Amino acid sequence: MNNRPIYPFTALVGQDTMKLALMLNVVNPGLSGVLIRGEKGTAKSTAVRALADILPEIPVFRDDPYQLDPNEEYEVYIEIRQAVQADSALAATREVVLRKVRVVELPVGATEDRVVGTLDLEHALKKGEKRVEPGILAQAHRNILYVDEVNLLDDHVVDVLLDSAAMGVNTIEREGVSFSHPARFTLVGTMNPEEGELRPQLLDRFGLCVTIEGIRTTEDRVAIMERRAAFDLDPERFAAQWQAESDALADRLLIARSLYPEVQIERPLLFEIARTCLEVGVDGHRGDIIMLKTAKTLAALDGRTQVESGDIRTASELVLPHRVRRQPLMEIADSVQTLRKRALAGQ
Amino acid sequence: MERTVYPLAAVVGQAQLQQGLLLAAINPAVGGILLRGEKGTAKSTMVRALAALLPEIEVVRGCPYSCSALQGEDRCPDCARLFPSLDTRIRRTRLIELPLNATEDRVAGGIDFPRSLKTGRVVFAPGLLAAAHRGLLYVDEVNLLDDHIVDLILDAAASGENRIEREGISFRHPSRFILVGTMNPEEGELRPQLLDRFGLCLEIAGSHDPEERVTLMERREAFDHDPAAFLAQHQQQSDQLAHRIARGRALLPGVRVAAHLRSFIGELCRENNVAGHRADLVMEQAARALAALEGKLEVSVDHIRFVAPMVLIHRRRVAQPPPPPPPPEEQQDEQQDETPPEENQEERNEQPQEDPSEQEAQPPPPQEQQTSPDDQPDPGEQQEQEGRQPDAGREEAVFEIGATFKVKAISGAKDRVVRRGSGRRSRSRIAQKKGRYVKSALRPSDDLALDATLRAAAPFQRQRAGDDGLAVHLREQDLRSKIREKRIGNLLLFVVDASGSMGARGRMTASKGAVMSLLLDAYQKRDRVAMITFRKNEAAVNLPPTTSVDLAGKLLAEMPVGGRTPLSAGLVKCHEQVRNYLIKNPTAQPIVLFITDGKCNVALANGKPVEESLLLASALARDKRIRSIVVDTEEAGLVTFGLARRLAGAMEAQYFKIDDLKAQALVDIVRGNHP
Repeated sequence: MNNRPIYPFTALVGQDTMKLALMLNVVNPGLSGVLIRGEKGTAKSTAVRALADILPEIPVFRDDPYQLDPNEEYEVYIEIRQAVQADSALAATREVVLRKVRVVELPVGATEDRVVGTLDLEHALKKGEKRVEPGILAQAHRNILYVDEVNLLDDHVVDVLLDSAAMGVNTIEREGVSFSHPARFTLVGTMNPEEGELRPQLLDRFGLCVTIEGIRTTEDRVAIMERRAAFDLDPERFAAQWQAESDALADRLLIARSLYPEVQIERPLLFEIARTCLEVGVDGHRGDIIMLKTAKTLAALDGRTQVESGDIRTASELVLPHRVRRQPLMEIADSVQTLRKRALAGQ
Repeated sequence: MERTVYPLAAVVGQAQLQQGLLLAAINPAVGGILLRGEKGTAKSTMVRALAALLPEIEVVRGCPYSCSALQGEDRCPDCARLFPSLDTRIRRTRLIELPLNATEDRVAGGIDFPRSLKTGRVVFAPGLLAAAHRGLLYVDEVNLLDDHIVDLILDAAASGENRIEREGISFRHPSRFILVGTMNPEEGELRPQLLDRFGLCLEIAGSHDPEERVTLMERREAFDHDPAAFLAQHQQQSDQLAHRIARGRALLPGVRVAAHLRSFIGELCRENNVAGHRADLVMEQAARALAALEGKLEVSVDHIRFVAPMVLIHRRRVAQPPPPPPPPEEQQDEQQDETPPEENQEERNEQPQEDPSEQEAQPPPPQEQQTSPDDQPDPGEQQEQEGRQPDAGREEAVFEIGATFKVKAISGAKDRVVRRGSGRRSRSRIAQKKGRYVKSALRPSDDLALDATLRAAAPFQRQRAGDDGLAVHLREQDLRSKIREKRIGNLLLFVVDASGSMGARGRMTASKGAVMSLLLDAYQKRDRVAMITFRKNEAAVNLPPTTSVDLAGKLLAEMPVGGRTPLSAGLVKCHEQVRNYLIKNPTAQPIVLFITDGKCNVALANGKPVEESLLLASALARDKRIRSIVVDTEEAGLVTFGLARRLAGAMEAQYFKIDDLKAQALVDIVRGNHP
């Protein structure tokens, strides 16, 4: 690990929707991830890393490959220790350390056994015992899992990934190993739609979806270049300059997290959600549920405990575009408002 | 790991689904239930909730097969030996979820490596089918699971026992479970054989009532907010449901079916043209379960009526109009198709003439040339004429995509290609080391299946123990290699004739419909697609091989039509693309689809266009990895040229008319052609 500062989240120019979607997911991991559709070089991974950097540190057991929470998952920790027959080198430790939230990356070439976890080859040959070698899903527990080019992953890898994301548990049933461990993570996927779409089933599993493109105005592009140059020249100083804003954002996220359980919504607004989903034609009910959660998270992020109509409108743009029922060969709509208009005009 | 489960009683709507699940829970003899439906409709939620409601069972302590100690039950060999002195305990009914990544040895069971190692004899490690005995086996997205795993499960479900004959093990143990599968038909269908083996099938859709949707959201929020309180709130209803299940199970053995009702069931099944007798049996069992659920000891007509749709929906045969496109309707579609596009086309043809900006940059044609067959006096003469005169009479036009249809059979044929490739050409597949590890085999390769190798070596370790300091001693005969299955489909290369002649009489609309149908099919099969169009004087690669079927669809919709027919150029381009693809993927078996009427009138060199194209076509046929299909778009009429047929002959391609591609017709053709 190097100590080079990370480009501050607050110093990112534009891409407000993407930033919002990421923040919402950090405040409420129950939103089950965000899919970022767009071109290359639009600060997607920078934004994710930057956001992870300002999140509060999390407690973990030292050297625990499963990243379990010492406060809430102690029993699981013991259970797993026993199940995997941890050898002496990794003696069960109760030492708790604090560390930053990690961004765990899933490379495009990842095979299923690396994602899920598999039999530890070396151990099997040396000791003649079965032991589980934890996969990327174990690493990602309580962290951010960043999947670049999710549409290029093998279908079954994506299936496994989203299955765990939805359940919060990873179950390994392969190569003579049978075992499960918690895997709750904030899922961030990116894709370039020109290289192929995700299947609707998989799309639906991503809570939010944003489409981004390069920034069009000259001033903003200049601002990006200037800031990047300043950062490359002296990262420490650049980070220090933005420290105040970063702290403010970190506070805001923390407050929103604590506020979220208290956020209320009035019944008429629930009807608005249901009607919106029905009008644009969404399969199933996941859209409704995620939209409600998003609206509440938006309110919390805004420091309110009451959902407003505006929250629902904003939420719909994040939640619905990729869920609208469409022929497999139709494009994903840019805006929910146009969809609604189209639907109303059709009636 | 314990998880709090959303209670079944609190699920909003989905009454039929709930009923179906209860029936399966009361009477496992219905043989499993398949839930088909869109995503996000509480399928998984309800199955998990059901498991929480099932009565506790008495099992033999320490038995991995959950054997029962009661008289007259099947038992695993160990318990059978010890019977009747068995120590038992009471535990909850288990819900076993089959993950998509499960391998064969984990599902059916295999050698227990550490124990075989220690004891020096073959010890069997039970798999998921053992764990599921007397419980609930939940298979999410069963249509995405590998076929042979589905086979394994359905075999066990049907016979009530799991037989293992592999890895030197010969073993059997009881495996009776309530099977619940879910699938989203958008993602591809299950094979009919597998479909039939699910006793009941339910179609599920989301609710369209805002009131219900709101209630649903409220409950979900309440549950997420405080699961314990939510559970407590619905405890009473949950208890009632649990009680009904328990009572149903107790009543079931005593539930009778009157003789006249049996013949009513038979009648129903015959009317619906169901194959085999499974439907009859399932329907009787389901009706009995329903009666038991309602606390009755006698099955009534209403019970049968209620369960009939669940039993028949996935078993109806084509003789009776099936739910998806019934044949008579389809014909209507066709007729509707044929008329409007003609008008359409005329309209569209006029437009460009009025708009000079869209005129082609080519030298203007000396005279307008009609190419529709009705106007042609004699084929030979016509060809010569076409050879000399540019046929740019029709300006560019964009045609709508005609009605799409299901192309089930082509997919069947494709499937076979894939499987043939995987079955016989395994060396190449293993060399790739990609794809999902599904099972192991005795076969030399460098893709070692370590787990299987260790299991094979385990029983001999005691004998082989030496002083070389190694813990495990492997011999060559232990080596096992991985058999992998790749889900990536084939390359489908569409070569579309976009010349003026295709514009005539709605042919392009119908052709586009055909291509679109094939694209939809390609999407479900996860094929890569590429598209080449040829018109005027050249062929162009509109879409290099990609998995983005969407992009292909978009291109298709926007494809302009007009100009002459440079079939030879299309063939050359096609050969180029396929060759490049084969260099990169030497084991692939690309499928080339020519959509043309074959009325070729531009040659690459000085020869006659038709002869030249046939020569090129036979060159393409030389690479046996390439499978080609010619879809003839020429309309049946008084005068037909049959050029596309000749092309198909030269290319050694399968030959279809557009109409042949539709639904049922192709099934027979493809079956006939593919032994």
